[in-house]
Formats: sequence, structure tokens, C-alpha cells
Amino acid sequence: MIRDTLIAWGRETLRIVFTLLTALVIGAVIMWLSGKDAIAAYKILISTAFGGRLEIADTLLTATPLILTGLATAVAFRAGVFNVGVEGSLYLGAFAAAWVGFTLTSLPGPSLLIAALLAGAIVGAAWALIPGYLKARLGVDEIVTTIMLNYVAIYFTSYLVNYPFAVPGLANAMSPLVAANAKLPRLLPPSQLNSSFVLALLAVLAMAFLFSRTALGYELRVYGSNPLFARWSGMRPTSVILKAMLISGALGGLAGAGQVLGVNYRFVANFSPGYGFDGIAVALLGRNSAWGVLLGAILFGALRSGGATLELMMDIPLELIRILEATIILFVTAQFALRWVRRRRMSTASETAE
Amino acid sequence: METIVNISFAMLRMAAPLILVAMGGVFSQQVGLINIALEGLMLLGAFAAVLAAFALHSALAGTFAAILVAMLFVLLFALFVLRFRANLVVVGLAVNILALGLTKYLLQVLFATRGAFAPTDLPGLLPLDIPGLRAIPILGGILSGHSPLVYVSLLLVILTHIFLYRTIPGLHIRAVGEKDDAAKSAGISVPRMQYLALILSGAFSGLAGAQLSLGNLQLFSENMTNGRGFMALAAVYFGRGRPLPTAFACLLFGFFEALQIRLQTRVGIPPQWPQMLPFAIIVLTLSLISLRQARHKA
Repeated sequence: MIRDTLIAWGRETLRIVFTLLTALVIGAVIMWLSGKDAIAAYKILISTAFGGRLEIADTLLTATPLILTGLATAVAFRAGVFNVGVEGSLYLGAFAAAWVGFTLTSLPGPSLLIAALLAGAIVGAAWALIPGYLKARLGVDEIVTTIMLNYVAIYFTSYLVNYPFAVPGLANAMSPLVAANAKLPRLLPPSQLNSSFVLALLAVLAMAFLFSRTALGYELRVYGSNPLFARWSGMRPTSVILKAMLISGALGGLAGAGQVLGVNYRFVANFSPGYGFDGIAVALLGRNSAWGVLLGAILFGALRSGGATLELMMDIPLELIRILEATIILFVTAQFALRWVRRRRMSTASETAE
Repeated sequence: METIVNISFAMLRMAAPLILVAMGGVFSQQVGLINIALEGLMLLGAFAAVLAAFALHSALAGTFAAILVAMLFVLLFALFVLRFRANLVVVGLAVNILALGLTKYLLQVLFATRGAFAPTDLPGLLPLDIPGLRAIPILGGILSGHSPLVYVSLLLVILTHIFLYRTIPGLHIRAVGEKDDAAKSAGISVPRMQYLALILSGAFSGLAGAQLSLGNLQLFSENMTNGRGFMALAAVYFGRGRPLPTAFACLLFGFFEALQIRLQTRVGIPPQWPQMLPFAIIVLTLSLISLRQARHKA
């Protein structure tokens, strides 16, 4: 039993190491082809991501939204729902949090901050409920609906800050600033790292608990791995899907709220560089486990925050990081490494049998 | 009258890249593999088209380069999905992110520019003047003077329809998409049909990219596809994988786009509304279709 668990762990680790190495090699080849020193670049990447207190703070800052969107994706994946729509929940949640932050300014002290966070989570959850309901009740393919609803959310929020909530005199489309007591406190100035990181860590703990210690976690596991069995053993798939999508949307909305209340202090149109989509990569890399998501998000955060320095110091376009990410995503669900391991295991198994 | 002619003319122009990439989506849909990568393939095609047209001083070379590059990347997609059994949606997502990153990276490394690359001597796909067409009242004003790929896009819709419904390979592709077990026992090579459909889907996406960068605009800019691949996917779902209704949906979306450009300059309707509309419509349509099916069952 323990041996099997160890082997499974080893296989997972091997697979992730292989994925990362492949991405780094492909990145190196691309840099080499465009006449850049890959080794020096990777050294800078590591030192700017983890080199000191402030560097680590910046990495965690970049990781924060990815932790939340990663968890959001993971919980939906566990229920067998391919939710590509976390980006949409993130946008609407972000706007809702900003709206509370600059409108309900009469709320005293921290109650405004709490109200803004709650608004983000609730609106994000409500948005995710649309594809969730369509999938659970009517069997509409959630991949298509979530992709389409992302665009609706992005254009709709852009409309909101361009027209009804436009700030006169500002060139870029953004909402007014939130009140001071709606801002999430900074943790380690001058870094922008703020308490939304703490929120994200709490979310990791909560999801780890939910996945392993609650009835819903059990339902998710059973339903996600074998819907037919789940139905026969009396679970209601509709309610499992809806609950998972509610949690997923709430986490996505919280990710958006965190960026608004902790970093930008206002809603900016098209502000997300694809946090929701990176969340998919992070969830896949972390094998849909809460702690795996945390590690995956920190890795992506490190890449992102190091990438900016790379552009400044070595004139290597930041886009290299996106190419690395794409490679990781490409390889992360592929099964050739696994097949090789399995073949080896089978041959050793037959040897021991002899 | 002139307004109608102008908007219809713009509709065809806007719909052409959509129709082309949507026909690509039709092939993958018919073989049963939802192709999220359309967006990225189209972007890669648009980039390759400008790069080759600029380097070789030929729009035709650019068009072929677009097809070739998109086919190369769809082969990567097919390899990971069919050979390495990676998740279809995940690989599609990866190709999209790769396309965005790679085109931006190359734009900076090759041309030292950010945002857009629009050299003055870039040979574009020039408007075609078909003799006699212009002379027809009203219709002439709408149909004549487009880039050649506009006519090609309309022609390809008909050819796609004929290919899928009137030829043996087309039948095999649909059989695999319908029920791959049955197709297999009927002696059809399932992987071969899947590869064929995906490669066709790549070729069409590349062509769509070429029309966008060499036909409609004569430049390349970052993320210039801007959701068109996904809009095409919506059209494919709207048409349930059939070429003619899918093309109709593309024309409808092209109409919205043409209208949006018109409205923006005339009356004060926020551009976000018509931009949002195709995506909202498709969610609504899918819901209504499923609702009706659910009612029928009950």
C-alpha cells in the first residue's frame, strides 16, 4: 500500500520534472536561435525570482491570483466540469469589488473591505452558475459556454468603465479609486505584496480540507472519476456540479477582487494578462490538489516576475515566459513519459514474478 | 440604399476570415474533435503571411506560408492529442498561448518592434476586379472589388459542403465523428481520418490568418485575431458542424462587425455591445436548443 503510494508519488514527480525540463530546454533553444545566452538568462530568472526578501515577495505577489484561479479551476475539474470560465468570474468579481469599494464608502472601517471581498466572491460565483446550470440541467457543453461567457464578461466590464463608470479626464478606461479602508494592507513594503496572498493561502487550506475531509470533497472525487457509479450510489450530479461551480466562481471572483483591492485599487479594463487561463495550467500542474496548485502557482509567479527582469537586463522579450508556459501546458497532460515508466514497471514486475 | 450596399460590402470583408477559420472548425467538429486552437492557428497564419510576403515580396507566397505554418502547428496539436493522448482542450489552450507568445517574441526579435509591423512595401492581397460584376446594380457594389480570398472563402464553403456530404473521405470523416467504433469496424482508419480533418482545419485557419493580415489590413499586430477563432467556434456550434449554416452565422457576425464600425462613427452606441453580441447569442442559442431537446425528451 505504502509502496504503491510512493511509486505513484515518484511517477508524478518524475512527470513534472520532465515537463519542466522540456520547457526549459525548448526555451533555451529559442533563446539560442535568437542569439541570446540561455544559461545567463536562467541564472537571472532564478536570482530575480528567489534572490532576496523583496524578490520572493514579488514572486508571491505574482503567484497570488494564480493560486486562487488555480484552486478555482481544480475544484471544477474535480467535479468533471471543464471550467475555462474562471477568467470571466475574475473580471466580474473584480468589478463588483471595485464598485463596492468606491460606492459604499459610508461603511465604516474594515467592514467596507469585507463587503468588497464578499461582493467579488458572490458575483464571481453567480457568473459561474450560468454555465454550471446549463451543464447540470440541460447538458450544454461547458467548454464552449465558458469560453463565450469570458468574452461577454470582458467586454461588459470594459463597457462599464468606458461609459457608466468612466472617470472624466482619464485616458485609460478605469473605475474611480476605492476608498482607503477598502484597500488590502501591504505585507512587505516597498513590494506590492499584500494580504490577498494571505487570503490565497487560507483558500489553499480551506480547499485542502474540503477535498480530503468533507462529504462534498468525497462526492467530487467519486463524481469526477466515475459519474455513473456516483449516480448509482445515490449522488445527485446536478447538485455536485452546481456546488463545484459556485466554489469555482467564488474563488475566481476573489482572485479579481484581490487584484483590485490589493494592487490596482481600481478596476482597469482588460487588466488580466490571462490569470484565469494560467489557473488552468496551474491546476493541471498541481494535479488538482490544493497544495499542488500552491506550488504550481509559485512556479508560474517566479517565471512571470523573473521574466520582467530578463527583458530589462538581457533584452529577451518577456514573451519567452509565455512560450515556456505554453510548453508546460502542452506537455502536462501528455502521456508518453508515463507510458515509458509503465513499460519499465511491467518488465520489472515480470522479472520479479520469475 | 448606399448605406446598405456599404454595410453589406463590409460584412463580406469582415466575414471572410471568419468563414475560412470556421470551415476549419467544421472539419474538426465533424471528426469529433473540438478545436480550441483555431484562434492560435489563425494568428500564426497571419504572422507567417506577413513575414513571407515581406521577405519574398509576394502576397501569394505569404498566403502559402500561412497555410503551411498553420498546418505545421496543427500537426503538433494532432500529435499531442492523438498520439500522446493529451487532453484536447488543454493542448488547444497551449497552442493558443504558444501562438500569442511566439508571434510577439518573433516580432520583437526579428523586427525590433512591439505592437504592430506594417512595412510600407508589404504586398497585400489586392482587390480583384471581376469584369462585368461591377455592372450589376446593387449586387455589383456589394460583391465586386474584394480581396481574392473573399471569393475563395465563399467558394470553399460550397466545396467543404460537397467534400463532407458527397465524397468518400468526407463520409469517412463524418462517420468517425459520429461513432468511431462503428467506423472502425466498417474498416475506416480512425486516426487517419482524424489527422486528415485536423490538417484541413489547420490549413483553413492559416488561410483565414492570411486574409486577415494581407487581405483586410496589410499589417500584423499583436493578438490581431482578437477572439475571431472563438467566434468561428461559436459559429460552428450554431451551425452544428454543417458548413452552410456555419457560414451563415459567420456572415451574421460579420454583419455585426460591419455595423459596429458604422455605428461607432455615426451614433453613440458603445462598441462593446456589438462586440459582446455574438458570444452572448451563442450561449443563448445553445441553451435554447438544449432546452427544446430536454422538453422533447420529457
